[in-house]
Amino acid sequence: MTATTSTRSPLKALSVLRAGGRAARHGGTGIVDRAAVGVAGCMVLLALVGPYLAPMSPYAVDLGAALQPPSAEHWFGTDVNGRDILSRLLVGGRTTLLATVAVIAAAMVVGTLVGTAAALGRRVVDEILMRICDIGLSMPAIIVALGLAAAMGPSLQSAVIALAATWWPGYARLVRTLVREVRDAEFVESARMLGVSPARLVFRHVLPNSLSPLYVQTTLDVSAVMLVISGLSFVGVGAQVPSAEWGAMIAASRDTAITAWWTVFFPGAAIAVTAIAFNLVGDWLRVRTDPTLKTGGRP
Amino acid sequence: MSDRSTDRTLLSIQDLRVSYPTPEGPCAVVKGVSLEIARGERLALVGESGSGKSVTARSVLRLDSEARLQGAVRLGDQNVLEMTSGQVRRLRGARVGLVFQDPLAALNPVKTVGWQITQPLRLRGVGRREARNQGVELLERLGVADAARRFDDYPHQFSGGMRQRVVIAIAVIADPELLIADEPTTALDVRVQARVLELLSELAQERDMAVLLITHDLGIVAGFAERVAVMREGELIEAGDVDRIYRSPAHPYTRALLDAVPRIDDSPGRRLSGGSGPAPRRSAAGKEEQ
Repeated sequence: MTATTSTRSPLKALSVLRAGGRAARHGGTGIVDRAAVGVAGCMVLLALVGPYLAPMSPYAVDLGAALQPPSAEHWFGTDVNGRDILSRLLVGGRTTLLATVAVIAAAMVVGTLVGTAAALGRRVVDEILMRICDIGLSMPAIIVALGLAAAMGPSLQSAVIALAATWWPGYARLVRTLVREVRDAEFVESARMLGVSPARLVFRHVLPNSLSPLYVQTTLDVSAVMLVISGLSFVGVGAQVPSAEWGAMIAASRDTAITAWWTVFFPGAAIAVTAIAFNLVGDWLRVRTDPTLKTGGRP
Repeated sequence: MSDRSTDRTLLSIQDLRVSYPTPEGPCAVVKGVSLEIARGERLALVGESGSGKSVTARSVLRLDSEARLQGAVRLGDQNVLEMTSGQVRRLRGARVGLVFQDPLAALNPVKTVGWQITQPLRLRGVGRREARNQGVELLERLGVADAARRFDDYPHQFSGGMRQRVVIAIAVIADPELLIADEPTTALDVRVQARVLELLSELAQERDMAVLLITHDLGIVAGFAERVAVMREGELIEAGDVDRIYRSPAHPYTRALLDAVPRIDDSPGRRLSGGSGPAPRRSAAGKEEQ
C-alpha cells in the first residue's frame, strides 16, 4: 500500500543514489540517509548550542566593518550593519528551527486528532470537522496567519500560533484518508475480537499503520513552514527587527543581495541545507516505519 | 477455570435471529437457529456461501455492530446478547477466541508476530517476559521451527501456513473455552490445510477447548468434528454426529452437499444437484464459490 508511494516521491532520484546496491533495494540505511540524519541532527544540535558557539555578538553593530566579504575574521562576512553573519546564523538557527518545529508539531497533533475523529466518528462528526477543514484550506495560509498574528500583536510566538492554526487542516485531511484506508482492515477487526480497547485499537493498531505518509509530509513541510515564518518576519509580524532569524536575515538583506552576495547566500544556504536534510530524513523515516520495505519484499 | 459450572454445556444458542437494516427494510440473514456446544466438543457448522453460518458464529461475540440480534446466546450462565459492550470486550480473546479466514489480512503488518501473539496476555496484565515465554512455547507447539528467533519477525516474512499458525496462537494463547474458526483453511493449500486442522484438533484436546469450525467444505469436516450442523438460507436444517450425517443424511440438501464434495473419479461436468429438496431461491447459488 505504502510501497507504491515511493515511486511517486519527488526524492526518487536521490533515493536511487542512496548507498546504491543492497541498502537501496532493501530500504536499509545508506550513506545518504546517514548524512541527512547527521545534517538534520547537527542543525538541531546547533539550535541548542549555537548561541554559545557564536564567535561574536549577533547584535553588535559596527558600521565601519559593514558588508565585508568572507574573511578569516568574519568567515561568512558581515551584513549592512557590520554584524557577523556566522554569529547571526548560529543564534538565529535556534529561533528558526524552534519556530518551525513548534508549528509542525502543533499542526500534526491537532491534525491527527481531528483527522482520526473524522475517520472513525459518526457521519455528522466527519461532516462538521471536514467542512471546518475545507474552510481552513480554502484560505491562503500566509494571509490568515498574517491577520491572526497581527491581531495577537506582532511577535514570533504570534506567528507560530497563527501558522499552526492555519496549517493543521491539511494534516487532518491526510490523516482522515489514511485512517479510513486502515480502519476496516481485517487485522483491526481481529484485534477488536481479542478484546483490545477502542483507544488501544486506535493508537496501537490503526495509527501505526496509517501515519507513515504523514511523517514524510511533515518533514517535507519543514522547508515550507520555514519560508512562511521568514515571510511573516519579513512583513513585520514575526521575528522582530534586530533578532537573528534566518528568513528575516534574507529579507533584511534584499538591497545588498547583488553587491554583497554573502548577505543572502549563507542564510539561504542554511535554510536550503536544513530543508533538504529534513526531506531526506522524512523519506528514510517512511522506509523505517514500513516493515515490508525494511526487511525486503513480500515472499 | 476449573471452578466454573459443572454443566457440560458451554455455548447455547437459542432461536437466534439476525437481520441487517437495509434501505428496503430489515434483511433477515439468520432465521431462528438453535445450537449447543459442550465443553471440549468440536462442532462443524456447514453450509454454502450466504447460508448464515458465519453470521451465526460471529453473533457469539457480537462482531457486527449493525446487525440486529434477537434470541439468546448463552455462554456458561450469561447471555451475551444482554451484556454491555465492556463485558463483551472482556469476553473476547479470553473466553472465546476467533481464527479468521485470511491469515495475512488478520495480522497487523507493522507489529512483530511476537507482539501480536502476546498482546492478549499483555492486555490481561501478564508480564512481558512471562508472556514472551508462553508465546514462544505455543508457537513451538504449533510447529513453527526456530520459534524464539522468528518471534521478532513481521507477518510478511512468514508463509501462508505459518501465518495461520500465528493467527491460531493469537486466538488460543489466553486459553479460551471456545474457539471459533471461520474457514481457517480456505486460503491454504490442501496439505497445509490438513496439518493446520490436525494442530487445531490437538490443541483443542490438550486444552479442553471447544471448537466451532465454520466451513463450506465437507471434505475437511469428517476427520475433525464430532458433530455437524448444516445451515441453509439462514436456517439450521440438520445436526447430528458426524458419522450419522455422513452415513445417512436425513435432509436431501445435506445429501446434495455431500455429493458435491469433489472426487477424483467425478465427471468434470457434474453440478450440485438440488436433490429432491426445495430448490435454492437464488439460481446456481451452490457452485459460485467453487
